[in-house]
Amino acid sequence: MPLFKRVYDWIDVRIGARELVKKELTGYLLPRNINEWYSLGSVLLVIFAMQVVTGMLLLVYYVPDADKAFKSVTYIMNELPYGWLMRLCHAVGSNMMVAVLFMHMISTLMMGSYKGPRELNWLTGFTLFAIVQGISLTGYLLPWSQLSFWATTVATNSVSAIPLIGQYLVEFLRGGKMVGPPTLGRFFALHVAVIPVIIALLIGAHLFVLKRTGISSPPFGGDEPVRHWPGDSYRYQSHPGGIPFFPNFALQDLTSIAIYFAVFFGVVFFGPDLPFTPDAFVPADPFKTPAHIKPEWYFLANYQILKIFPSELLGLTVQAAAMTFVALLPFIDRSPERHPLKRPLFLVCSIGGILLWVGLTVWGHYS
Amino acid sequence: MENDGRRKFLGICLAGATVVATAAAAYPVFRYLAPASGPSGAEKLVFASSELPEGEAKFFEYAGSAAVLVRTKTGETVALSAVCTHLGCIVQWVKQSQDFLCPCHAGQFTADGTVLSGPPPKPLAKIPVSVAEGKITVG
Repeated sequence: MPLFKRVYDWIDVRIGARELVKKELTGYLLPRNINEWYSLGSVLLVIFAMQVVTGMLLLVYYVPDADKAFKSVTYIMNELPYGWLMRLCHAVGSNMMVAVLFMHMISTLMMGSYKGPRELNWLTGFTLFAIVQGISLTGYLLPWSQLSFWATTVATNSVSAIPLIGQYLVEFLRGGKMVGPPTLGRFFALHVAVIPVIIALLIGAHLFVLKRTGISSPPFGGDEPVRHWPGDSYRYQSHPGGIPFFPNFALQDLTSIAIYFAVFFGVVFFGPDLPFTPDAFVPADPFKTPAHIKPEWYFLANYQILKIFPSELLGLTVQAAAMTFVALLPFIDRSPERHPLKRPLFLVCSIGGILLWVGLTVWGHYS
Repeated sequence: MENDGRRKFLGICLAGATVVATAAAAYPVFRYLAPASGPSGAEKLVFASSELPEGEAKFFEYAGSAAVLVRTKTGETVALSAVCTHLGCIVQWVKQSQDFLCPCHAGQFTADGTVLSGPPPKPLAKIPVSVAEGKITVG
């Protein structure tokens, strides 16, 4: 310990480490009624870090070439020591990232934390949600299996419903008329270089905005006086008399991360086939479409909407309208009330929306 | 006092659990990145004598490394490691002078691997070779 203290003192006199720790950790006060749902952001940071690390490890052996991609993935899975673990962590992690993002967004909705002055938190978070779906879609193609190939064909094809430029957009996305080697190159570059940088920047923006506005108080279970933001000037929401981030809430963060890992490794070790269908184990064949090709679970509702509507354009418009509505929710729902039980219209609409999404997903799965 | 003891015990448990978790994560990553164990060097390679005219050299891969076969003008067949003993560059066969030259730092070796000049500290490593019935067997 004396050595640790001496090193800490050495750093402290140079960069003021103790002052920083006091300001950002032990003196950073959070509302006393803060709950476990507030730790989902930390869980997501851990998931993103895991995806970056496992992705880098996969890059060591993965070959982004249409003739070699499937073989390289098979080699990673079957021959490399612990290659299966790296790939499964990456594949399961991508699914978990979307699932935890959903939970984070639902908790934000229920606790009214998207309301002013936190519109920017919501917008950066919502954009992150959309971009994470983009990184999942681009990563889906990389193993160059039948599943990857045809799911990407279906997903990119839906863009063709956009009037006038739709067909050109599809070809631009694919780098040709059909999904092929140029598509793999594009999706690989997007997946490993472009989108991760965008996600990192957006996470930075999200955290910056969170630091500037201050963390919101949960709308229930607390005795902090409710202070509505009048919207006329900048105000940092502090929590005098609150609990320190470190060690109190850091422990909650660690607990949530531990629970996440329990579920995550439960899937990796006991349900490794969950992220895959049998078509994921057959190399891509551009001349043979497998029967009943389905997208990932989080795109099933979108897929089913496209099937329900007689016109693909109408289906896309409905989805775009729904996404825009959710993205702009803080500007539509302007009432200062945040308690979910005191917002019956919101509660009915949000629960109805979630049930509709679940229903469409199940329908899409069995259709 | 009792609390201090409990805290210390829990701290040690936490540190221990962290070390175990780190090792559990690091070991698969190490194994994943470690080079595959290749052939031990016990393999045998066979070439037809006609592939190696007099005064010529033939480079090939042997036991995961570069090797060279030389048939000198006196008719002797020699197999050597082609890795220069100085800094690991691959030596080149100079047909005119019937010797090896390392292009990195101008180390020179005779056809049987002996150092002629330059910085190499040791001769080129010899590889067992035999010639019989028109076949050259290396290893």
